Amino acid sequence: MRPSANIIPLAVVGLVVTGIVGFLVAILFISWFSNPPFGLGNAPAQPIDFPHTVHAGSVEEGGVGISCEFCHRNVTEGAAATVPAVEQCVFCHQQINPENLMASSSADQEQMQLVVDKFNDNDPINWERVHRIPDHVRFVHEAHIRFLTEGEARTVAMPIGDGQPRQLPLTTQQACSVCHGDVAAMTEVQPTPGQSLKMGTCVDCHRELNVGTDCTICHK
Amino acid sequence: MVTSRIDHKWGMVVDLDRCNGCQACVIACQVENNIPINDKNAFLQNRAYEWIRVERYWEGEYPNIKARFIPVMCQHCQDAPCEPVCPVFATYHNDEGLNVQIYNRCVGTRYCINNCPYQVRFFNYWHPNWPERMQNQLNPDVTVRTRGITEKCTFCIQRIRRGQLQVERRGGGELNDATLKSGNHMPACVQACPTNALTFGDQNDVHSPVQPYFEDVNRYNIHHEKERKTRGYRVLEEMNTRPNVIYLKKVDPNLDSSGGHHG
Repeated sequence: MRPSANIIPLAVVGLVVTGIVGFLVAILFISWFSNPPFGLGNAPAQPIDFPHTVHAGSVEEGGVGISCEFCHRNVTEGAAATVPAVEQCVFCHQQINPENLMASSSADQEQMQLVVDKFNDNDPINWERVHRIPDHVRFVHEAHIRFLTEGEARTVAMPIGDGQPRQLPLTTQQACSVCHGDVAAMTEVQPTPGQSLKMGTCVDCHRELNVGTDCTICHK
Repeated sequence: MVTSRIDHKWGMVVDLDRCNGCQACVIACQVENNIPINDKNAFLQNRAYEWIRVERYWEGEYPNIKARFIPVMCQHCQDAPCEPVCPVFATYHNDEGLNVQIYNRCVGTRYCINNCPYQVRFFNYWHPNWPERMQNQLNPDVTVRTRGITEKCTFCIQRIRRGQLQVERRGGGELNDATLKSGNHMPACVQACPTNALTFGDQNDVHSPVQPYFEDVNRYNIHHEKERKTRGYRVLEEMNTRPNVIYLKKVDPNLDSSGGHHG
């Protein structure tokens, strides 16, 4: 057999293998270095179009300026921030305007009707999680909010987001936006670039502020 | 924990005179730490996990036979044989004297299990499973360990951390014996023990009930065991692993010198 007869299939196999390996390496690189991680940067579709702009946005910008911890009640109490119960949505909307449940357009009325349906059926709203951390990480909201919102006035370097030193204590809304971005300006909540809640982000801050980097503070 | 560093060194004292082998600690641990239910198959294959187990020994011959119980959990050795053999540093000693296992670092070599003289480390041979109706009873503070990693008693680190946060939140102070007890922040086995055979505390705290036992056993090593003022001893003390768990000998007025055998 002439040697050239084998060259073409060998070359094809070689190209295919190189292609597959290159593809995998590229995916690994993208997943490792992208911030937020690959596939977690987009806002997931929520069952109800909840506008944070209207609820949490400032009054000057057309919102009602509700503080974060009014709905995410457990954030100053325990580990999980928690999403509000359907009752809490309906309670406010009913109090403010029982006629049309405080919806200004027919599209809003449609969305509000979904909430009322859930309320009447005694069903929770299955919100999609936006900021996820792996199961082996136990994050405690309460301790972080307490650190950022209480204590005497001080300036601390925080290597998260824009990396600028911050003046503590912050308001609760500012404290939340340190990691979650400016949620009050988002119609769809999504992770902000540079605030991806990867382990490096946590450890950078903990090292900088000398607040303990023992593994068991988060992993337990 | 974070803003004010306190020099803790946790330790446990097990009074064998009080242990009646009721297994409440075993169940409490299983519930607290999301340990899967061991079926018959798991026991037959010697692959059951119990972070704390009550070993039973028979002493004497029938009819003068006595059952002896000893609860065995991770001894949190200060010179732990499991630590240097881990190739990925998944197990190490933290600054509170605990031997901790980091699940996401573990790659499942099982060297630590083989090197542990107390047989208190367990390997997840299967993916953990619970019946459908028990899915919502899992402890949210504890990781559900996946298949292929090693796990062991943590001295309920999640409770200690919760205690530290609560003490800090209520305006300083330190996590001491009183706050541990009042907030139910001691390990689940200690809380569940009906006879108070298990005591948990800070060895560095002079007011802690465990402190005198540790001081006594640390002062007189295995060669001076007779000089000890308390009943304290450590399991497999001759291995010199220096555990953070101390056992108190059973007081037996009618001591039978014939020795026991495992039953």
